[in-house]
Amino acid sequence: MTRGRSGAGPVIHSGRTTPRLMAHAVAALAPIALASTWRFGTAASVLFGVAIATAMLCDAVCDRRNANDGSAVVIGMIVACLMPATAPWWLAAAGSAIAVLLGKHALGGLGRNLFNPAALARVLLMGLAPAAFFSPLWTIDGRTAATPLAKELGASPVTVVDLLLGLDSVTLGDAMPVAVLVGGLVLIALRTIDWQVPLCYLGAISLLALVLPPGERIVGHAPWLAGNPMAHLLNGSTLFCAFFMLTDPVTAPFTRPGRLVFCTLAAAYTMVVRYYTPYPDGVAFAVLLANASVPFIDRKMIWGSVGRGASDELPAVDSQYLAGDEGGQG
Amino acid sequence: MAAMKIPGYKHCADSPIQQLLPPERVRLPIAEMLPAVDVGDRVEAGTVVARSAPDAEWQRRAHSPLTGRVVAISEPASEEGPTREVVIEGRAPTETSARPHLDAATLSADRILTCARDAGVVGMSGAQFPTHVKLRPGVPIDCVIVNGSESEPFITCDHRVLAEHRHEVECGMHLAMRAVGATRGEITTGRRGHPFGQERFVISDVLGRDVPDGRLPKDVGVVVINVQTARALHHAVCDREPLLERVITVDGSAVASPGNYTVPIGTEVGHALTQCGVRLDEAAVLVAGGPMMGESAGLETPIGPGTGGVLALGHGQISDLLDRPCVRCGECMESCPFGLPVVLLLEEPNEALLQCIECGVCQFVCAAQRPLIDGIRSVKAELRAGRRQG
Ligand code: SF4
Repeated sequence: MTRGRSGAGPVIHSGRTTPRLMAHAVAALAPIALASTWRFGTAASVLFGVAIATAMLCDAVCDRRNANDGSAVVIGMIVACLMPATAPWWLAAAGSAIAVLLGKHALGGLGRNLFNPAALARVLLMGLAPAAFFSPLWTIDGRTAATPLAKELGASPVTVVDLLLGLDSVTLGDAMPVAVLVGGLVLIALRTIDWQVPLCYLGAISLLALVLPPGERIVGHAPWLAGNPMAHLLNGSTLFCAFFMLTDPVTAPFTRPGRLVFCTLAAAYTMVVRYYTPYPDGVAFAVLLANASVPFIDRKMIWGSVGRGASDELPAVDSQYLAGDEGGQG
Repeated sequence: MAAMKIPGYKHCADSPIQQLLPPERVRLPIAEMLPAVDVGDRVEAGTVVARSAPDAEWQRRAHSPLTGRVVAISEPASEEGPTREVVIEGRAPTETSARPHLDAATLSADRILTCARDAGVVGMSGAQFPTHVKLRPGVPIDCVIVNGSESEPFITCDHRVLAEHRHEVECGMHLAMRAVGATRGEITTGRRGHPFGQERFVISDVLGRDVPDGRLPKDVGVVVINVQTARALHHAVCDREPLLERVITVDGSAVASPGNYTVPIGTEVGHALTQCGVRLDEAAVLVAGGPMMGESAGLETPIGPGTGGVLALGHGQISDLLDRPCVRCGECMESCPFGLPVVLLLEEPNEALLQCIECGVCQFVCAAQRPLIDGIRSVKAELRAGRRQG
């Protein structure tokens, strides 16, 4: 039998609901999980499984009512993607716990968290457990390098194909940049994310790679990264960040123009970290720093057009006439 | 995301208008009127059963569409409650007495307005504002727009009326032009989708004039009337027929014979649906009006002069309001025709919200399925109360 529906307004919906969008994200992250397993073996699947399970558990503990929307699965997968392939399982668990408990629920609350939970988890863990993060993985010319961007002078020149296939990567998310690209394009095709966000971020990265004067670390140890946009786009977590982190609506500005400012900022932070600090990748730092400017961007960009006082110039229209006459199509 | 276009679902666009088997009971909503009959009175089709108080500024009339007996007059409801109704049981007249047809070309503006008032002609696209008041704007008007851009999904009744009775609509338009002294008349059939059939958008699409916030179309020299209002005006003036019926669209996946139907004003939703073979067990929600701006209805809800349709939507067609946490996606702002950051205005009320026409697009796109329209209405009420005090 029919029931009246409580609540006014439309009874139909676009169908783009939070659980649906989360399902899209999971589907887009799946190729990355597969690629990392193919590349790094079952250890990668274990990290994904642990991260997802921990995230779901923590989310259910914090908020039972909304825990079924799929967002915990997405957070878990993104946390895993930011883990080095050599990470022990507890690092993934700790990452998810930090992301959900601290990043999502404590720092802002549902839908209002300021920082990208996975980026926060990664940065905190890098500080708390650097050994787990920077355990050597690659042996190049008898020396070891922790991350691809740390690959040092003397290594054979890296080609674009190497980069696309992730032959030079360490975290699960950039196991195969091709997979990231595929997932990202899926999200764009499903209209789950705004294509302008990755485009703007990647564009700004390329531009900055060309125009910024490289710092000492680059000049001294990785000159092939200087002024080479392709290397910056395909290495580290750049692509992953463009498609899966900056597109998180909660931690990005509210308006589209605001989001473009935000991406440009994130790109600038990324390049500054890469060119002028000892940290080779910088993406997680950049996301957090950009997140921190979101309230400011929103304050400037939302209310500018809206806040004009409608009351100043209002004529003496009877509100009943207004409501009665304008409510219709004539 | 580019702002999303609301789908049309105009399944009945090609279904000719049909007559429904008339109901044996009607419930006439008589908001802002006083009953002119008592319980037990006999009424003829066309008898005035309620009218505004003599000193009321906006005179309204309600006429019985049936010949029969007044069986009930509901008590004045509270402000929030349902509208007061006169309930009449009887049968629809089999033939209308032919009255001498008046030649529209010879009528004075006053005569047109008097006919419109006595026939109880009101806006037939939801608002139900008395047409004779609208046609006495008190400011110069150069253009009358007959709005046929019914943008609500599913609803096709105005489209059919235009397709089948265009001459009557045109006559009504000319009467309205004469009444307000306009030299220009336009019949629009916009195709931009909801909410762009709303009058302020139609005015800007047709004439390129923007109605400023808080102003009325007449302030930019325009009067907009609905297609069926124009037709009712034609009947009121040329045939001296009161407003007794309208065309509605009946649709939804729980309806066996969707289509466009002429029904007496006051027909119950349940009657219209039964005649169209509704399967009530498949209906998730009944709507009087369109799915964006209509109201959810019960079987006894009457079809008023402004009700464009009756929908029995199946579970697959509707969405529940789940009120999940807002994800700050900004879609509500992106899709709002006025660019209002809807959810933020609910948190931090601002006078800007008063320009909202409650078109419902924000709620349609909200990923968190929040009850934004409920929120908008209560914040608007607070803002209006604050303004009255301040
Ligand atoms: S209220 Fe809904 S549409 Fe608006 S920002 Fe929040 S989730 Fe998006």
